[in-house]
Amino acid sequence: METLYAITVGTLTACSVYLILRARSFPIVIGLTMLSYAVNLFLFSSGRLVIDQVPIIGAGEPYTDPLPQALVLTAIVIGFAMTAYSIILAVRVRGEFGSDEVNEPNYQAEQEDKR
Amino acid sequence: MYLALMVALPFLGAIAPLLVRHHSRRTISYAAGAVAVVSLLLLGYLTPSVLAGEVPQFLATWLPQLGLHVAFRLDGLSLLFAALILGIGLLIIIYAHFYLSQHDDAGRFYACLLLFMGSMLGIVTADNLILLWFFWELTSISSFLLIGFWFHQSNARRGARMALAITGAGGLALLAGILLIGNIAGSYQLDAVFAAADAIRAHSLYVPALLLVLIGAFTKSAQFPFQFWLPHAMAAPTPVSAYLHSATMVKAGIFLLARLFPVLGGTFEWFTIVTLVGLATMLFGAYFALLKNDLKGLLAFSTISHLGLITMLLGLGTHGALLAALFHILNHATFKAGLFMIAGIIDHETGSRDLRKLGGLRKAMPMTMWLAMITSAAMAGVPLLNGFLSKEMFFTEAYQQHLFGGLSWFIPVLVTLGAMLSVAYSIRFVYDVFFDKAHELPKQPHEPPIMMRVPVLILAALCITVGIAPMIMVSGFLTPALTSVAGADAEVYIALWHGFNLPLLMSVLALLGGIIIYLQRTELFNFNRQFDIRDAKDVFAGIVSRVTRFCDNLMQRIETGSLQRYMAALFILVLVFVIPELMNISALTGSRPQLDVDAISLSGAIILMAAAFGAVIFHRQRLTSLLMLSVVGLMVSLVFIQFSAPDLAMTQLVVEVVSILLMILALFFMPQRIPRSSTGGRVARDILIAGFVGGVVGSITFALLTRPFSSISDYFLANSVPGGGGTNVVNVILVDFRGFDTLGEITVLAIAAAGIHKLLNNLRPFMPSGDVDGRAWHQVKHPMMLQTISQLVLPLALMVSMYIFLRGHNLPGGGFIAGLVTAAAMILQYMANGVDWVKERFNYNYQSLAAIGVLIASLTGVGSWLFGANFLTSWFTYLDWPIVGKFEIATAILFDLGVYLTVIGATLMILANFGQMTTRHRPRQEGH
Amino acid sequence: MLTTVLQFAFFMFSVALLLNLLRFFRGPDLLDRILALDTIYINSLALLILLGMWHHTSFYFEAALLIAMLGFIGTVAAAKFLLRGDIIE
Repeated sequence: METLYAITVGTLTACSVYLILRARSFPIVIGLTMLSYAVNLFLFSSGRLVIDQVPIIGAGEPYTDPLPQALVLTAIVIGFAMTAYSIILAVRVRGEFGSDEVNEPNYQAEQEDKR
Repeated sequence: MYLALMVALPFLGAIAPLLVRHHSRRTISYAAGAVAVVSLLLLGYLTPSVLAGEVPQFLATWLPQLGLHVAFRLDGLSLLFAALILGIGLLIIIYAHFYLSQHDDAGRFYACLLLFMGSMLGIVTADNLILLWFFWELTSISSFLLIGFWFHQSNARRGARMALAITGAGGLALLAGILLIGNIAGSYQLDAVFAAADAIRAHSLYVPALLLVLIGAFTKSAQFPFQFWLPHAMAAPTPVSAYLHSATMVKAGIFLLARLFPVLGGTFEWFTIVTLVGLATMLFGAYFALLKNDLKGLLAFSTISHLGLITMLLGLGTHGALLAALFHILNHATFKAGLFMIAGIIDHETGSRDLRKLGGLRKAMPMTMWLAMITSAAMAGVPLLNGFLSKEMFFTEAYQQHLFGGLSWFIPVLVTLGAMLSVAYSIRFVYDVFFDKAHELPKQPHEPPIMMRVPVLILAALCITVGIAPMIMVSGFLTPALTSVAGADAEVYIALWHGFNLPLLMSVLALLGGIIIYLQRTELFNFNRQFDIRDAKDVFAGIVSRVTRFCDNLMQRIETGSLQRYMAALFILVLVFVIPELMNISALTGSRPQLDVDAISLSGAIILMAAAFGAVIFHRQRLTSLLMLSVVGLMVSLVFIQFSAPDLAMTQLVVEVVSILLMILALFFMPQRIPRSSTGGRVARDILIAGFVGGVVGSITFALLTRPFSSISDYFLANSVPGGGGTNVVNVILVDFRGFDTLGEITVLAIAAAGIHKLLNNLRPFMPSGDVDGRAWHQVKHPMMLQTISQLVLPLALMVSMYIFLRGHNLPGGGFIAGLVTAAAMILQYMANGVDWVKERFNYNYQSLAAIGVLIASLTGVGSWLFGANFLTSWFTYLDWPIVGKFEIATAILFDLGVYLTVIGATLMILANFGQMTTRHRPRQEGH
Repeated sequence: MLTTVLQFAFFMFSVALLLNLLRFFRGPDLLDRILALDTIYINSLALLILLGMWHHTSFYFEAALLIAMLGFIGTVAAAKFLLRGDIIE
């Protein structure tokens, strides 16, 4: 199970990194969101994989480690704030420049000159 | 206390001239002068105790962790310099009152001057090396302001910049040196450093420390090869030149050498470097002083020369040499300040400083001529003036040293040569200005106002009296100063007459040789013309422009404007740092027993990975990619469920849905098709990077998962019920144990929402009129079926969110999840019924909702203070309610209410405001 | 007996999920994909309930409740996007 979990986190990270390296803003936003999922899963793994030991007193000992859960919960909400901000930023850039290219406009022009 | 006040006074007083800047010039000058006078009185008050051998000290801690204290001391050396700084400073203030023209901003001038005065006082009285360095840098900055006082002149700006660049760079070197010394000594306090002198000299880092300190001192004191900034600093108003470049700033380097002599001096390295640099500077300065045609240029180079002389004496380091150095510091300050003032008077009254144009002024300005003759005779070392005495001592020391073995004779010879040149340029200063044949001048020359001459008169009088009666005039001053430099029991003896000996012969030779050189100066000028001597200014400008060009090129290569490239570089850097660490691990698999894979987990993982790949594959079809992301989010929440984290699963679910909603909203404003833009090479590179990062993260995760661990969570598990009154440990951690984190987090959320709110202001988005395939949008805005269902869902959703909120403390749930559920239900209303419909029924400002939420949470925290507890301490009790049964009330639920409201407010602020972009409720800011 | 039934149900729903995934990838239309997504939501919900029964716990049922409600909102949003482009107007 640990191997499967690790492979999943790795795959998720790889896919999100690839998306983040794209030149358009929307794939980057998707990549960022996915990367935050991967990071959350990674942070969560610091409590190790434990099945059916919900950290609720009275549910029956033993309990899994509640601390990573609390941290990840915070991370999810903050991740949402960041995602939202980057989305609006992308829309704003599109509204201001009429393009969803993330590179500097000058850079694009330079590249075309070289060709 | 008086000591600290004396140093602080010029800084505080710097405001005084600015406060009265709209009054008359006289008022401004009085204000500035008063500050100097009061400081001088304070110094006078402290002087008797210093002369009696005490060292008044002042200590206040500033940053004790860094060894930095506001510590002052007034030993003999400090007293000598402080007296110079304040005394000459006062004379300069009087002089400047007449010198500055009506157009000059006198308030600013005096403010800078006082600032500088305070900085210098700080240097000479600092009892802590870092504090000394602090004031050292302040002098660089304030002298920059003073040199560039006439900032409308380009040469003033250039001179100021150059001075700042050189002395600033030297200051950095000095800081490094000081840090080394302080590290060796274990303290930056001067007493401790003095006590550790032997250890410092024996330390292996002694030579680097010495070199760094010397660079600092040499740049400040314009020693060879850093001398070139000083002549360009002559673009300053003459009072500034007289003050900074005779008595004070350039002497700061000398002061530093004297101050650190007990610590760093006396070694072979010190002797060699300092003596030779001093000697070179002295000859260099004297030679070029003779060649200059500008009055102030002549004085500038002669200053360089005399500073070299003092440096050389400090390098020799014998008892007599140190005495001669201190004595000459005093003498040079008096005659050179006077000479600068005279140059200013001449410039002021004739409109020219060019030696080729000036001449025959003895009739027009007889008084000034006498003053000039006295002061320049002192500079040349004519007997019965103070310059003669210190020069004679200098000759004695140069003659008596035996430091270069059989070659020691060359020092007295070169020294005599330097003295000859000194005599020659002194004659030139007087003769060419006052005696040579008269020329046409821009102004009709006449004597300056009497008060402009008084400062010079005082200085000239000092030259004579000190020259005739040195023991009466200055020995009292010099004794404590020499004691603090040379150690205990220093004896000061200055005699007018030593009998016929070699030093006297050298003096005579210097005078005669100087006259001869002056008479033959045309030969010298012709000789010098053979050399193509490039102006230091051009060399400096060349270096600066080359450095700038290099940096420009470098930046262009690195900063291409391609965010992709930055991002790739970042990921590669991560790999570079992480991969070696991973390779250091002996085995990836740890000792923790692993779980078995079951079919459901396997299929879940397959779906998760497939969807992730799908998002990549379809990334040019945006909605599809988004739907894939949605599947990933759903599967992640199932992962949380599987591994015993129901709270996380619920949060993840709601956040995922809300983010997807937001992205669908944004999708409307984005271009519908993405052209294929990446080249094959780029795609290959990105796949490589992504693969490596993924592999590394996966490996780390695996290594983490298979290793046993210990956690601090036992405390939380044990104290959740007795301490926090809740059985859901995750929620209790959030609202109680780590409540402060949560408070910060909701604040961040509210801030992000506010930022988004502002970003949406006045945004004019692109709106497509049809879908991807060009079909027009459907006519019906709000389908009836959807309207009906969504209206049914709202009360249900609100009930669910209430339920989740209330049980959160004991069972999975809580403010975060409940808030997001409420927000999602509200968004559904916006989608199904439109903005207008919602506004009619629920016209509430979400910004204030978020603010109220943060406020409630904070007030809950503050509330615990009322009960004498720490911030955010929670309180709870159990109540017996009819029907409901035993019920728990905790202040934590109030805190959670704050969280709940903030989350609703922030989420709706983001989503609803964004959704309103296309409606008449568009956020707008007037007058933007 | 219950164990066997649960195992069988687990298996069937897993297969259903994989089939949903297949439809999701194959499309061909966006509508098919949205429908597939909605069905994935439903099947996950069912899995959650089964999991709760398997572990004899009720802690997972709220999550199922949320999936039921929010999955609906997500689907509505995607459908509205296809219909009008702008989902809040």
